[in-house]
This record gives sequence, structure tokens and C-alpha cells, in this order.
Amino acid sequence: MTAEVQTQKAQVLGVKGLVKRYGDHTVVDGVSFHIEAGETYGLLGPNGAGKTTIISMVAGLIPADSGSIELVGSAMTPASTRVKGHIGLVPQELAIYPDLTAKENLLFFGRLQGLSGQELKGRTAEVLELIGLADRAGEQTKKFSGGMKRRLNIGIGLLHRPTLLILDEPTVGVDPQSRNSILESVEGLATEGMAVLYTTHYMEEAERLCDRIAIIDEGKIQAEGTRNQLVELTGGVDRIDLHGSGNTSAAATALRQLPGVQHVDGGASGLALTVHNGPGLLAPIVAEAGRAGMALTSVEIVRPDLESVFLHLTGKALRD
Amino acid sequence: MKSIIGIAVVEVRLFLRDRSNIFFVFIFPLLLILLLGSQFGANSGQARVALSGAPGTELAKALAGQLEEDGVQVSTAGPETVRDQLSRGRTDVGIFTSDEDAAAYAAGRPAGLEVVTASQSAAQAVLQEVRASIQAVSTERRQQSLLESAGVPAAEAAAALVQARTSVEQPRVELVDTDDVTQVFQGLGRFDLGAAQQLLLFVFLSSLTGAATLIKARRLGVIARVMAAPVASWQALAGQALGRFGIAAVQGGYIMLGTALLFGVDWGNPLLAGLVLVLFCAVSAAAAMVIGSLMDNDAAASGVGVGLGLVLAGLGGSMVPPEFFSETLQAVSRLTPHRWAYDAFADIQRHDGTLADILPQLGVLAAMALGLLALGSFLLQRSLSRAL
Repeated sequence: MTAEVQTQKAQVLGVKGLVKRYGDHTVVDGVSFHIEAGETYGLLGPNGAGKTTIISMVAGLIPADSGSIELVGSAMTPASTRVKGHIGLVPQELAIYPDLTAKENLLFFGRLQGLSGQELKGRTAEVLELIGLADRAGEQTKKFSGGMKRRLNIGIGLLHRPTLLILDEPTVGVDPQSRNSILESVEGLATEGMAVLYTTHYMEEAERLCDRIAIIDEGKIQAEGTRNQLVELTGGVDRIDLHGSGNTSAAATALRQLPGVQHVDGGASGLALTVHNGPGLLAPIVAEAGRAGMALTSVEIVRPDLESVFLHLTGKALRD
Repeated sequence: MKSIIGIAVVEVRLFLRDRSNIFFVFIFPLLLILLLGSQFGANSGQARVALSGAPGTELAKALAGQLEEDGVQVSTAGPETVRDQLSRGRTDVGIFTSDEDAAAYAAGRPAGLEVVTASQSAAQAVLQEVRASIQAVSTERRQQSLLESAGVPAAEAAAALVQARTSVEQPRVELVDTDDVTQVFQGLGRFDLGAAQQLLLFVFLSSLTGAATLIKARRLGVIARVMAAPVASWQALAGQALGRFGIAAVQGGYIMLGTALLFGVDWGNPLLAGLVLVLFCAVSAAAAMVIGSLMDNDAAASGVGVGLGLVLAGLGGSMVPPEFFSETLQAVSRLTPHRWAYDAFADIQRHDGTLADILPQLGVLAAMALGLLALGSFLLQRSLSRAL
């Protein structure tokens, strides 16, 4: 009983049986999860899996057809104006005014969050410093690079110190340097006690940032847990990536017949195989691929990771 | 309320950062007013007549004196110069006299005059004034001749005619309009009607361009972000609408002031006229928000805005006065905000209407604004489910 009460107190977001349909198409199908304070929770899935729709419902932008969302103990719907103050939303698109300066953008969204006076000015200066744009604060954001715009996009979400920060694919279209900077910033947030809901289709980001991950596909959560818990679901299988050209479709057909090979997935430039005992099967796989007409340029054995988990659960690669 | 004002301030700031907006909202209407003024209000409405030939003669002096007495601006020049002025529209009517004509006039004999009008529309009206003045000169000369032929010395005859003019009260003719349409427009100055029509047309048209800015904000994801903050959809829309309303109200006030100063347009009671303008601007801004929430393409929205603005202006009496409409068209006309604002302006400008007189029009405009804002708020919330 005591443990239950403590868990409830720590819970920031609780989502139960969330459903969203557009016509006959069910975009989100019975999704349930929860996030606790200081936890970074990842929604990992390919484009079109339903991640942004889930986030839109959690942020109160669109209504759910059924199910419930509870944020810091209050129901969240599009009409829950007051509750929305607990959320910092960082949408996938760059939701900033290009004709306003970085500072003007922050001041504008800060006011909407109820900040004013010295608090607003002080917090704006802090965030500009945090996202590394203090020296460019007076420039119109249309002159910024993609990475700078992304950082400002995140800074706006942090401005009012939200209880729950929602980041929807925050590194899409960002150069590696800015991407690393963004990931470092997100890592720091959880240590400050902020709950983070992070959607991505990059496996490495989910592995690096998230305490718990939900693998989502076609609107359903396929599995949920820590990285290690999810990897265990694969039953210790390895992934072998074959890169090359030639008759890859014939090679895929031949490799599917090979004992120990669970899945074969891929296209013209390469194949991804899910196998038991990768090192042991490597030689016959290479030989079979060659016989089938595939000219190999490189071969890689990948120990189980989230990509493998996704492949194992859905039968398709995450990049799809 | 803070969030509404915050959104409105940003909307105005973004508007001012686009220089083309300033041209179309503030400079373009002024240019149009100048164009209309130069076309229809040449030289502030004063008739211009150029006299040529027989300088210093009795005929030239009599014509110039009578024309000036009748309020006409008179100039003298050589025949070539006057013809040049007529062809360039710098004078309305030219009167050409010869030494023979001057001599005939001095002798009391019939004298011919060559009168040429310019091509501008106002010249025909000036010609009528010139004819009346020439008629007056002719009558006076005949009276003088009759007295002289009756044996009265010339000086005494002239003095007697002056005395007669000052001692006898001038006959006064009051025109009473008998047809309904003419009576409807009674009390209007030369530009009063057109100014009210143009004001409604321009304010509505430029307000509808606000639809495109709302669509851009939706496409950028800014609106979604605003509504993820503690801001209701109606507040987000009201903020956007307030920004557009402010721009429209400033434009409307600018046109009112400009036409009053440049063309002497009488807007009637300024407070009541301002109230009509405020409510009409509110309807215009709310209509822009509905289009901005309903459509997803800002270029298409601009096109629809211009088309809709012109159609509603036409139906609402901003192109042809609605008094000339058929009964059916009159009924259709009342579906437009332009018509209600037009009627309110008509009451204020032509009949010194009071607040009580224009309350029905104000009520309808207010209801239209609130209804459109509510519809826009619903559509904006719904638009968040659509991908742009």
C-alpha cells in the first residue's frame, strides 16, 4: 500500500488505453504507459507509427477517441487549459517565428506560459545561455542554421521549467555536432528532476537517453521496458548485416532456407539477417549469399540492440 | 487577456516587418484617394476659366468681373496658351474674344464669343456656370443700352443699375427633389458617398489578408505550440484577430482622416462613425480568422480573400450604391457586413443619425463578429488534426 502511494506520487504522466481514429484508420490503438519524475521515457518507432499523434493527445492538442491521460493528477484534454502549463512541448517542426529574433520568440512564448517581468527576462537570458544563442539573441531566426533553430525550438520548451518536457524527434535534420549538443542537453534535464517524453526513430538516441522505452509500430506498443529488458525479448539472437550489390533478392530467398536464420530483411544495397549464434553462422551465410549472386562489399555482426528488438517484434527494420 | 494581447502584439510586429504590407495598407489607399481626387475633384472643386483676346476692353473686364463674382477662377492668356491649357486639362473652359466682338459689345450691338471646353468630366458643369455668367453680362449690357437709348446718361444709367441690384432682394430658387432616390442621397457632399464605400471595401479586403498569416503560423507549428501552452483555442484566435483588428482600425481611421482633410468628406458625428468602423473592423478580422482556419494554403487563401472581399463589397453596396438595387438584391445585400455598415454611415452622414438610430446596424455587426469568432475558434481547434 505504501509503495503504491509512493509510485502514484512520483507519477507525472499516466496514459491508459489511448485510441485515435481518422475515418476507418486506427492511428493509435490502445496505448498505455506512464512516466515518473526524473525519468526519460522513449517512444521508438518508424515514421508513421503514431508517435506524433500520441504526443498531440498528451499535449492536449487533439482529443482522444477513447482512453485517458492524466498529468500531475489532472485529466488532460484539449480543454484542460490550466493543466497545459505543466507541459513543455518541443514539436518536430521548427515552431518559431522566422521574422522574430531569438529573444523575441522566447519572450513571446514565455508570456503565453504566464511568465512576466523580471522572471521572464531572467529566464529568457538563462535559456539563451543554455542553448548557446546568447550572442545571437538579437538576430532574426530566419538567418540561423538548422542546428541553431533546433536549439531555440528546445529552449522555448524549457523556458517555464515544465514538469513534463515532450520532445518530438528533436534531432531530425540536424548536423552531428548540433545533434550531440541536443542530446547532452536532454541528458541533463532528467538529473534536474524533469520528466521527459522523447520520440525518435533513431535507435542510438533511445538507447543513450531513455530510462525506459516503448517500441511502437502501427499505433500499438509492441514492447516496453529498459534497454536490457527489451534486448532479452530477442532471445539472444544476433543481427548480421550484409552490404553489397548483385542479386540481393535471390540471396534473401536462399538465406531464409538456411538453418538458424530467423528473419531476412533488406533491399538492393544490403540485407539484415536475424540469426542464432551469428559468429558460428557467418561462413555459411557468406557462402550462400555468394552462390545466390550477391557481391558482398562488407559484413557486420551486430550484437542484440533495439534495432534487433524491433526486427524481432515486427519483422521489419526500424528504418522502414 | 495577457495571452490575447501578447499574440496580437506579435501579429502587429510581424505585419510591420513586412514592408509590402505598409505599402498596401497605408500608401496604396492614399494614392487611390489622390487618383480619385485628381479625376473628380480637380482644383478642390473650383471652376477654372481662361480668357483670351481683347485685353483691357470693356467686354473682357465685364466677363472677368462677372465670372469672379460667380466664384470662378479666371486667368488670361494668349489664344495658343489657352488652347494648350485646355488640351492638358489645366483649365475647364476657354473663352476667346476678338477686337471686333469687343467693339460690338461696347457699341451695344450683338457680340459673338467662342467658348471651348476641356475633355474632363467637370468641364461640362463649368460650361453651365460660364453660360450663366455670360447671360448675366449680356442682360446687364442690354439694360444699360435701353436706359441710354431712353436718354439717360451712361454714368447715371450704370449707377442706377448698381443701385437697383443692391436695393432689390435677389430671387432665391429652392430645388426640391421629388424622386425617392434623389432624396436618399440628399445631404451628401461630393466625396462623402464614395469615401464611405471605399473605406469599407479596403478595410475588409486588407483584413482578409490576415487569413494567410494565420495559415503560415499554423504551418510553422506556432499555433499548435501556442495551444499547447495554457491558452484556449478561442484565446489564440482572439489574439490573432485582435492583431488584424488593430491594423484594420488604424487603416480605417487613416482613410477617414485623409478623406476629411484632403477632400472635405463629412463623416458626421466622429464618435458614431468611429464606432461603426470599430465593429466593421471586428467583423473583417473575424472573417479572416475563419478563412485562415478553414483553408490550408496561404496563397489560395489570399486569392479567396480578394475574391470574396470584392464580391461582398459589390453586394454590400461598396461599388454601386445599394439604393439602386432590386428588392431581391437588397435582401441579399443585407447578408453582408458592408451593407449594415453602409446603412449606418448613411444615417450618420446624411441624416445626422444618433446612436439610437444606428443601434440595429451596430447590433448586427457585433453579432456577426462574435459569430465568426466562435466559428473560427471551432475551426482552428479542428485544424490541428490536419496535416499542412
